[in-house]
Amino acid sequence: MQKKHLVIAGIALLPLVNPPLVYATTAVEQLLVEYRSQGATEFTVEAGKELFFKEFVDAKSTQVRQCTTCHTDDLRQPGKHAKTGKRIDPLAPSVNPKSLMEIKNINKWLKRNCEWTIGRECTAQEKGDVLTFMQSQ
Amino acid sequence: MPSSNHLSAPVYRVRVWDLPTRWFHWLLASAVLAAWLSQGDSRYVDIHVFVGYLFFGLLVFRLVWGIVGTQHACFRNLAFGGHALWRYLITLPTKQRQHFLGHNPAGSWAIFGILGLGLVIAVSGILTLGGENQQGPVAGIFNFAQGETFHLVHKVTAWIMLALIAVHISGVIIASVLHRENLIRAMVTGVKQCPTEQISVASQAPVALVLLVVVIISAGGYFRGYLTATPDQPYLPFVGTTLPSNALWQEECDDCHLAYHPSLLPKRSWEKLLATQQEHFEENLGLAPEMIATLRTFALNQSAETAPTKTAWKIYRTTPASESPLRITETPYWQQRHQRLPEEVWKHSEVKSKANCDACHFDAPQGTFEASAMMVK
Ligand code: HEC
Ligand code: HEC
Ligand code: HEC
Repeated sequence: MQKKHLVIAGIALLPLVNPPLVYATTAVEQLLVEYRSQGATEFTVEAGKELFFKEFVDAKSTQVRQCTTCHTDDLRQPGKHAKTGKRIDPLAPSVNPKSLMEIKNINKWLKRNCEWTIGRECTAQEKGDVLTFMQSQ
Repeated sequence: MPSSNHLSAPVYRVRVWDLPTRWFHWLLASAVLAAWLSQGDSRYVDIHVFVGYLFFGLLVFRLVWGIVGTQHACFRNLAFGGHALWRYLITLPTKQRQHFLGHNPAGSWAIFGILGLGLVIAVSGILTLGGENQQGPVAGIFNFAQGETFHLVHKVTAWIMLALIAVHISGVIIASVLHRENLIRAMVTGVKQCPTEQISVASQAPVALVLLVVVIISAGGYFRGYLTATPDQPYLPFVGTTLPSNALWQEECDDCHLAYHPSLLPKRSWEKLLATQQEHFEENLGLAPEMIATLRTFALNQSAETAPTKTAWKIYRTTPASESPLRITETPYWQQRHQRLPEEVWKHSEVKSKANCDACHFDAPQGTFEASAMMVK
């Protein structure tokens, strides 16, 4: 009897042993709730993927800009900053446990990267889709 | 043993130069050549410094050998006065020219000149390394400005040395032709040919062997770091001081490019850069005002003015006070140090930008930018 309880308690506590994964989901889950409260509807991997690969033309430089310009076509691979050449750690949480962990960090980069790539901030819908897509990688 | 030349006059073979003197001569010549080839490019400073120590060590050996060595290597037999030199030189073009079995007066003067000037070059080199780079045996004693002065002395004396070597080589060729003896071969084999019987000097091979073994062991010891280096863990011959860091700076400035250490730009540049964070090279950093305040304090306290490294000192010294460059790559010192790199280097897929310092500099994240810690792919 005693032993069975211990096993159950152990299984219940298991997720805490690997906190990064737990927190990663929490951060994105929390953001998705926030985006829904701002009027966004269902988030899909497909819509997020489409945005991630969509080409935008920068008004000033007339260059084509995409999320993949820095993060590459494969989110499991390290990227490279388009202008500075610096290595960027893979965005996919499956290979980079640090990715999508912190709400503050995600907000900061979505703001910067949407401004740079699309020329404006992303909408709640776009942000939710792209995070859903990234999380699936 | 007399042998015969084509006129059948007797010729005696005499060993004039012992082995240590000959090996010293050619090692010193190689050291000068290597020092010349390795100068002027920061990548090869460690080679240049090793060759400098070798050069210094060889000179010290020669000074000792000039006292305890064999007959023609001994300074007391090379001590010709100005009068003897003059007499030798004015009779040289005539039939009355004097022949010497060992060094002639001009050669002796060249030897003392090269030894003396060599010591000045070696010592000024060690002082430059200590002052400018804060490395080597006298690191920490002299400041950057004094190091720069030593560097000037080092350069000027090196040029004079080159002139002296040119005179020495011309002298060897002229004397070889006029006296009809191959002085260069004599410095290789140690042997000269003589019409009269003369006593050969001892070979002193064990001393030469010790000299060579010491040179090889020192080289192995000095460069051993390269043997264990890997692409991920490159060998840094010179390790710079640890520069102060700041957690917020590291977090906010290290994502798009490496977090450039504040000692790479003057205060006025950081003021301007942080004040224009909304238009940071087409990026909007969007940092909160209290973050900017923290970053600003750190940057201003650790700016190039504090001169913790040679790089910082040079950048501060050479950037006109009227300018506040927002780029390290726009400072005159940076441009001067990189002007010789070919244009393709910057287009290499792993470089992409001049500002991507750590594509080439192993110690870029530390901000020290030491010599011999960079490579070009
Ligand atoms: C100009 C280069 C660049 C482009 C284009 C770019 N990013 Fe990024 N992105 C970065 C950098 C640099 C980071 C920071 C990586 C790190 O923290 O290691 C980053 C981080 C992120 C993060 C945060 C990941 C984390 O660690 O939590 C998200 C989310 C993100 N990017 C999404 C996007 C999306 C969506 C787009 C397209 C709209 C995009 N990025 C386009 C450079 C870029
Ligand atoms: C969102 C991305 C991003 C962040 C974050 C960022 N920078 Fe930059 N920075 C850039 C880009 C892009 C350049 C231009 C690089 C190029 O031309 O190669 C640049 C260039 C620079 C340069 C000039 C480099 C040179 O010598 O050419 C300095 C200095 C600099 N940044 C300082 C900072 C500091 C300090 C911070 C932190 C407060 C910071 N940066 C944060 C994107 C960023
Ligand atoms: C493409 C490779 C490359 C990049 C990128 C690069 N450097 Fe260099 N750097 C070199 C090489 C090679 C030398 C030596 C050049 C020489 O002496 O002729 C050098 C020399 C220097 C020196 C002189 C060191 C000394 O003691 O003489 C400094 C300082 C320096 N670089 C700073 C920087 C900084 C700061 C950056 C980034 C803003 C940078 N470099 C980017 C390759 C690079």
